[in-house]
Amino acid sequence: MECRIIGCGNAARGDDAAGLLVARRLREWGVDTLEHSGEGLALMESWRGHDAVIVIDAVVTGGTPGAVTVWDGRKAPVIQDRRRNSTHAFGVAEAVELARVLGRLPPRLSIYGIEGRRFDLGSAPSPEVSAAAERLAQRLFRY
Amino acid sequence: MSGRTRTIRVETLARVEGEGALTIKLHGDRVTDVKLRIFEPPRFFEAFLKGRHYSEAADITARICGICPIAYQMSALHAMERALGIRIDPAVRLLRRLFYCGEWIESHALHVYMLHAPDFLGYPDAIQMARDHRAVVEQGLRLKKIGNRIVRLLGGREIHPVSAAVGGFYKTPAKSVLRELEEDLQWATEASLATVKLVAGFEFPDFEQDYEFVALAHPEEYPFNEGRLVSSRGLNIDAAEYEDHFVEQHVKHSHALHSVVRGRGSYLVGPLARFNLNFDRLPALAREAAHTAGLAPPVKNPFRSIVVRAVELVFACVEALRVVREYEPPAAPRATAAPRSGVGQAITEAPRGILYHRYALDENGLILTAKIVPPTSQNQKRIEDDLREFAAQVAAWPLEEATWKCEQAIRNYDPCISCATHFLRVNVERE
Repeated sequence: MECRIIGCGNAARGDDAAGLLVARRLREWGVDTLEHSGEGLALMESWRGHDAVIVIDAVVTGGTPGAVTVWDGRKAPVIQDRRRNSTHAFGVAEAVELARVLGRLPPRLSIYGIEGRRFDLGSAPSPEVSAAAERLAQRLFRY
Repeated sequence: MSGRTRTIRVETLARVEGEGALTIKLHGDRVTDVKLRIFEPPRFFEAFLKGRHYSEAADITARICGICPIAYQMSALHAMERALGIRIDPAVRLLRRLFYCGEWIESHALHVYMLHAPDFLGYPDAIQMARDHRAVVEQGLRLKKIGNRIVRLLGGREIHPVSAAVGGFYKTPAKSVLRELEEDLQWATEASLATVKLVAGFEFPDFEQDYEFVALAHPEEYPFNEGRLVSSRGLNIDAAEYEDHFVEQHVKHSHALHSVVRGRGSYLVGPLARFNLNFDRLPALAREAAHTAGLAPPVKNPFRSIVVRAVELVFACVEALRVVREYEPPAAPRATAAPRSGVGQAITEAPRGILYHRYALDENGLILTAKIVPPTSQNQKRIEDDLREFAAQVAAWPLEEATWKCEQAIRNYDPCISCATHFLRVNVERE
């Protein structure tokens, strides 16, 4: 099965790099992955034409740092209180919801969120998130 | 109403908790306090650049912003070229203009269609707008994609492009490759004209301010990479004099610095400033579109910046078309020079306004000091000043509406808070 794996984030912002860490690890093992800033419209383009897509991003849900949550992008909205999230940026969640409205969701879409705790400019990813990224990479590699 | 104290508070303006927020305190219809925290200056990158080779600065600073990496590259490259005394080939200059067109198209299409238009059409966001205005959203998406295509073609990668180098490019494209963009750009020009028409029909609050507009100005061109820095109050300087005229002040309520014109105060950079100071250097098609849209310089209503951005989309498409038609590859992709000690400053026009870089190099070409002043840093104080005036106009409104309007007033500036982080902030019920 052809599956597009996209890791989103900003490498200069601590745990925001979570998705990139997973994508890089998988690439070291020979899996074709894409590193992405998470800018929503470009993200929609990057999954175009793919039947199955996995997006990995850092999340803040108030949970334990390093915890991984999986959403079926085809089913429930990723964000519930969209008003709160949409003030300016157009990110992963917005991309999924806009694609849903425009009928541009891939047939299969899984979103893996790694709970982050620090996002300061110039900080390294936290040990919890680094470990979680490694475990998730192994899990996706087997998959 | 009078005598009652209310607070307009927007906590989620930024993506980073505790970093970005807006608080406006009202006493009756009087604004007693405005505190805006939206942008953290790139001090980390300035420190990170120390000791690095001059050739690394463009790629490192490109990481500051996911939306406008080319602006960071261009300011870094031009500053290095000035420090090293490198003159670039005219064909390279042309290619860099095309590169910048790509970024403007991407950035302006994103802001006009996805972030700003929903305010005027009465939707909380582009997703809900798309349900009723599908064709509009599709048009915005296609425009943005064309911008991406240009950037990808010249940058190698869409996000954080890597092919621009000190002295030129690591690799320059063949003529035929650029000609392939022609059809897309013809469509984009038409779509941009339609964009001007669309947004000119929006309703704008009656709000004008007496701004000091600051932008680059070039004798023949609408500015991207080159020109004097001029203002509507008579400033006319070289990039090397920037720090003599502009100062950054620490603000108590924020990590941010407020930029001011020395001895005067806040100023405005970005589309309104460029348009007002360079109107006669827009291509005829863009000038006509502005005229039809009822825009004539000086535009002093910041809410109309959406129309000016659309006019700049027309400019960027027309300019990109000119480049792909005129381009002849340079004899060499880049000019080189021996390292030497020196200082170089450069200003280029990022989609949001001027972006200043200064580097001091040692005799081996290693960076001694770096200074970066992004456009949002420069607009931050001006946004607060706008809000102080604007909040008074909406003070009597229901709180939710007033808050939304104040958010719109911030969005007029297309502030670069989206580059902070892109993590998902979600409310979920765990199983």
